[in-house]
Amino acid sequence: MTFRPVYFTRRALAAMARGPYVALVGTATIFVAVFATGLLAAALGGAERVLQGWAGEVQISVYLAPGADLEAAARAARAVAPGREVEAVPAATALRRLAEALGEEARVLEGVGPGALPDALEVSAPGISLAGARELAARLGSVPGAAEVDYGNVWLEKLESFVARGKVAALVLFAALAVATAVLVSNTLRLAVFARREEIEIMKLVGATDGFVSAPFLIEGVLQGLLGAALAVLALLALHGVLVPRLQAAVALAGDLTLADTLPPPLVLALVAGGGAVGLLGSALSVARTLRRFQG
Amino acid sequence: MTLAIDKGEFVFLTGASGAGKSTLLKLIFCDEPATSGQLLLFGKNVAKIRPAAIPYVRRNIGVVFQDFKLLPQRTVAENVALPLEVRTLPDREIKKRVRALLRSVGLEHRGDKFPPSLSGGEQQRVAVARALAADPALLLADEPTGNLDPDRTLEVMDLLYGANARGTTVVVATHDRSLLERYKRRVVVLERGRLVSDGDSVRRAQSS
Repeated sequence: MTFRPVYFTRRALAAMARGPYVALVGTATIFVAVFATGLLAAALGGAERVLQGWAGEVQISVYLAPGADLEAAARAARAVAPGREVEAVPAATALRRLAEALGEEARVLEGVGPGALPDALEVSAPGISLAGARELAARLGSVPGAAEVDYGNVWLEKLESFVARGKVAALVLFAALAVATAVLVSNTLRLAVFARREEIEIMKLVGATDGFVSAPFLIEGVLQGLLGAALAVLALLALHGVLVPRLQAAVALAGDLTLADTLPPPLVLALVAGGGAVGLLGSALSVARTLRRFQG
Repeated sequence: MTLAIDKGEFVFLTGASGAGKSTLLKLIFCDEPATSGQLLLFGKNVAKIRPAAIPYVRRNIGVVFQDFKLLPQRTVAENVALPLEVRTLPDREIKKRVRALLRSVGLEHRGDKFPPSLSGGEQQRVAVARALAADPALLLADEPTGNLDPDRTLEVMDLLYGANARGTTVVVATHDRSLLERYKRRVVVLERGRLVSDGDSVRRAQSS
């Protein structure tokens, strides 16, 4: 079969114009799948950016057991955290700082003795990553007298774990959505193929090859896929525009979040190409099924 | 059955309903698979043809149906153009040939109309033009006048006759005896899938 893209595309567009409802359903199906996948990918991208943005703000506290030698612990901490600023904070200083931090509410500390808080070491680690902070905290845990190490970002740990799991979930979701969408699109396009079975039968009778009959349907599937995916990307861009400023107002760490983090060009391209591929797969399945029925 | 049709012949296939006329035509244009025997078409045994080769056999065959089988959403010209598009001829060539074909069936001014707006006779003339579009070596017509009044019947038969005069082999399945009487051509009579008579006049067919 000679491939004539203009001719086949013209026929595909004419068919879509004649049956806009079917084309709309196919496009909407792909829109939903691409939007759901894109939303998850964008959320993961944003979360990763937040994790990266967190670096540089970490302060690790090492609380010492009662009776531990603060100065010896500080020396040991400097040894395991070379280049980091280590401050030895006696219990009394810690209590005073707490009172300062509480301001007018410091009344609640009346009657609390200096022994209420443990001696501690404060280790500043600017520019450190979450993994680096975790590693440093583990090393500081081996400091003599160390009872507890806190780098105060449990929620970040959870976020990191969410991102890691989310990546796996995104892959699984994308695969599941791709298959489900291909089947849905295939069934939708079956309506289109069914509506044109007479045309297919007559074309076969006048000597059309399967490729000639299929080409417009395949192009139709790709066009619906591309259109659905493009609309989904536009919707995601709009959502970014609405949600991200609110997120930035609520969470300081999201301040640097940009479109390149949530919807980077490679993701946009992948979503649009994925939509086209799913449309192609769906139409190929439905046309193959119908052509088998007309097999001379 | 054993039946041979020579190049350039005009043959009527006749017999009662269920005799096998349409089935024989379907076997010839590979719309029905043969379960046994041989069917030699242009020197090839199409009874054992691969499915992928069927379109290329059909391109040498024009088919006219009783119910016209025109696409209602395509114009008359687009319907006639279909076999030429399938052969991926250039657009300009297709337009030229469609114009000539519509002129030959007297519908040159109806090219932009849609089939449902045409009379039955006109629709069958469009179907004949489509069947002849690719200049086929063989033209099959399955009850081509079954839905037409006597005047329109003669118009369509004249077109088939004209195609035969230009060298196309024509096989017409019909149970209309008036056609057999009017056009004194070879008549093959079928009955329950068997050939019961093969002769050059309707009288011979009747006497069998």
